[in-house]
Amino acid sequence: MNIAVVDSGLRELSYAEAIREAMDIALATDPRVVLMGEDIGVYGGAFQVTGDLIDKYGPDRVMDTPISELGGAGVAVGAALTGLRPIFEFQFSDFATLAMEQIVNQAAKLRYMLGGAVSVPLVMRFPAGSGTGAAAQHSQSLEAWFGHVPGLKVVQPSTPQDAKGLLLAALDDPDPVMIFEHKLLYKMRGPVPEGAYWVPLDKAEVRRTGTDVTVVATGIMVHKALEAAEVLAGEGIAAEVIDLRSIRPLDRDTVLASVRKTGRLTCVYEAVKTLGIGAEVSAMVAESDAFDYLDAPIVRLGGADSPIPYNPDLERAVVPQVPDIIAAVRDQARGAL
Amino acid sequence: MPTEVILPKVDMDMTSGRIVTWHVAEGAVVSQGAPLFDIETDKAAMEVESPASGRVHHQAALGIEVAIGTVVAWIYAEGEAVGPPPEHVTEKPVPRTSTADAPRQIAVPHTDLQKPRATPAARKAARDLGLDLATVSGTGPRGRVMRGDVGPISGLNAESGTLAVIRDGGTRGVPLVLLHGLAGDRYGWEPLMAELPSSQPVIRVELPNHGTSARMRADGFSDVLRQLRNTFDTLDCGPVHLVGHSLGGALALGLSDTRPRQVARLTLLAPSGLGPEVNGPALDGLIGATRAESLGPWLKALVADPDLMTPSFVEAAMRLRQDASLRAAQAQMAAVLFPDGTQAMDLTSALDRLEMPTRIIWGRRDRIVPWKHALRAPGRVSLNLFDNVGHLPHIEAAAAVARFLMPADQEVLSGD
Repeated sequence: MNIAVVDSGLRELSYAEAIREAMDIALATDPRVVLMGEDIGVYGGAFQVTGDLIDKYGPDRVMDTPISELGGAGVAVGAALTGLRPIFEFQFSDFATLAMEQIVNQAAKLRYMLGGAVSVPLVMRFPAGSGTGAAAQHSQSLEAWFGHVPGLKVVQPSTPQDAKGLLLAALDDPDPVMIFEHKLLYKMRGPVPEGAYWVPLDKAEVRRTGTDVTVVATGIMVHKALEAAEVLAGEGIAAEVIDLRSIRPLDRDTVLASVRKTGRLTCVYEAVKTLGIGAEVSAMVAESDAFDYLDAPIVRLGGADSPIPYNPDLERAVVPQVPDIIAAVRDQARGAL
Repeated sequence: MPTEVILPKVDMDMTSGRIVTWHVAEGAVVSQGAPLFDIETDKAAMEVESPASGRVHHQAALGIEVAIGTVVAWIYAEGEAVGPPPEHVTEKPVPRTSTADAPRQIAVPHTDLQKPRATPAARKAARDLGLDLATVSGTGPRGRVMRGDVGPISGLNAESGTLAVIRDGGTRGVPLVLLHGLAGDRYGWEPLMAELPSSQPVIRVELPNHGTSARMRADGFSDVLRQLRNTFDTLDCGPVHLVGHSLGGALALGLSDTRPRQVARLTLLAPSGLGPEVNGPALDGLIGATRAESLGPWLKALVADPDLMTPSFVEAAMRLRQDASLRAAQAQMAAVLFPDGTQAMDLTSALDRLEMPTRIIWGRRDRIVPWKHALRAPGRVSLNLFDNVGHLPHIEAAAAVARFLMPADQEVLSGD
């Protein structure tokens, strides 16, 4: 389903406000929807995404859970299994490590284990990524871990509009959907249609068309890639920027069509480069008929094989930045690799 | 394993050469970087440096024609056993010659024992065309055959080849490829061509929406550059001396940046792309003029000496601009490339990166693009500023510009 725009006016919301609006719409229109998470009630959430929804819907539908991610996630899985539509928020995506049993062994597997007799319509939200000076245990990008688990869907909205539409689509899905939200995007503003609309969970979006190099980016890297593409355009290099949006499932058609056109692929993602999403996208291209169109080695730009450092200069240095993307795409377009 | 020494490609037409001197005797010691042998081609003699240190064995005979890429000696490390010449199996870096003018990329040819290095796109194109990749000379890194080396890219881009290409002169030597500026066309190069020897190969390319090239909507600089690159890729003439004037200069920079191995030398005449300022009203006036009376004053703004723009010249220029669709297409292009009287493209970093010999020629009385943009050029770029010249050095100082375009040996001939 494409974006059903009720009102395409120029109203702008922040990414956090767009997510809150999606939850507000869901709470108002579907009595099965409940919010769960640590400090999402009176405190409004670690990143103030839930805000004052508790005032509107009360503590029965906006529930503070104890400081046990495993316990909270277990309750959410059980609630989803028995008829509710929970949206569970982790304070930091890093804390998902504590809830892996519930996510990987229960939420993702129950439909399969019980022969299709049940489903787990659970939505989980993960504030992720570096750039906030929160150091190694609060700055990771673990989305690829979840992308490795059949039974889960994993999306990474890069704009306020997608943040709202993907959350509403996730609630409509009968199976567990993991939403990775980059913390630095929460304050980013952009146009957001009013009312309910749904952004498909399995479609990438071409954010900028170009003919020379395909740049496949996720999350906040979409914006860095677009900035790089703007600079490169001034030099005569036309980069096509694809916002992958969903890393499970991958939108194979959009990526392959672009690579067939440009013959060059650069993948940009913040998570650790090794064994990451760029490896999967590269392999997908190499295994397809689009391979025959490649006219330069594939490039992956990802995070360094390092924990995220606390020192702000080092924190920037371990993840791809705009000049890195410019240099890589330029070298590819020049045939210098 | 000893290091192989191969006959390098030292000029672009070269397919074979003769060794005329060994600087190191058979079995003697040589250090890496020291002169090892001299080769002679149809055109020149070159000294080749040793790629490694050690003892030289299995030297090829003097005076015999050998193909480039042939192993002409082996260098053994001190103490390494010297047997019969080893098989030529591995691809090794090609020794660089000491000649500054040699093309930066030295093509590595393919022998029976090595699979050609080629991109998947090049392999598919060769399969489709029934072509043996081993017969294609690769222009990519380490001799890699790229898609463009196999043949013109058709089908991929239906618009390719829609730019007008006019070839003049002989076939020997490095061709000059001339790119005119906004609102220009092929005829603007005639005063310059009159100063070149008639044997000099010259290829004029008309930009999209100019002259007899196709009319097409341009959405930005990269769009225009892509059109140009598609045509450039089909020229099939080996490395060129690329010359661009004004907007053609910015495009020449972009083209050199993305096709560095196909451009042996670059000359920029009052190029755009090196700073934001441009005379917007003059561009609008030139493009929008519908009659000689309104075109004349703007043509005079192009040159230092307004008397160059005689009434008959202005009339002739206006006749070439009678077509309203051409003027409209150029106006659309100008609005995209020079919005609000600003140069939207920025080629300064491209100029910093380029490695081929580059010269910028500018008139100090240019009233269209400030000549001081030339001062952004890095130190390796030659700069020639003319005192009583405006925006058209190739017309106002045609003879002097022509001399800069000729290689030294031909310059002498042209004086005959």
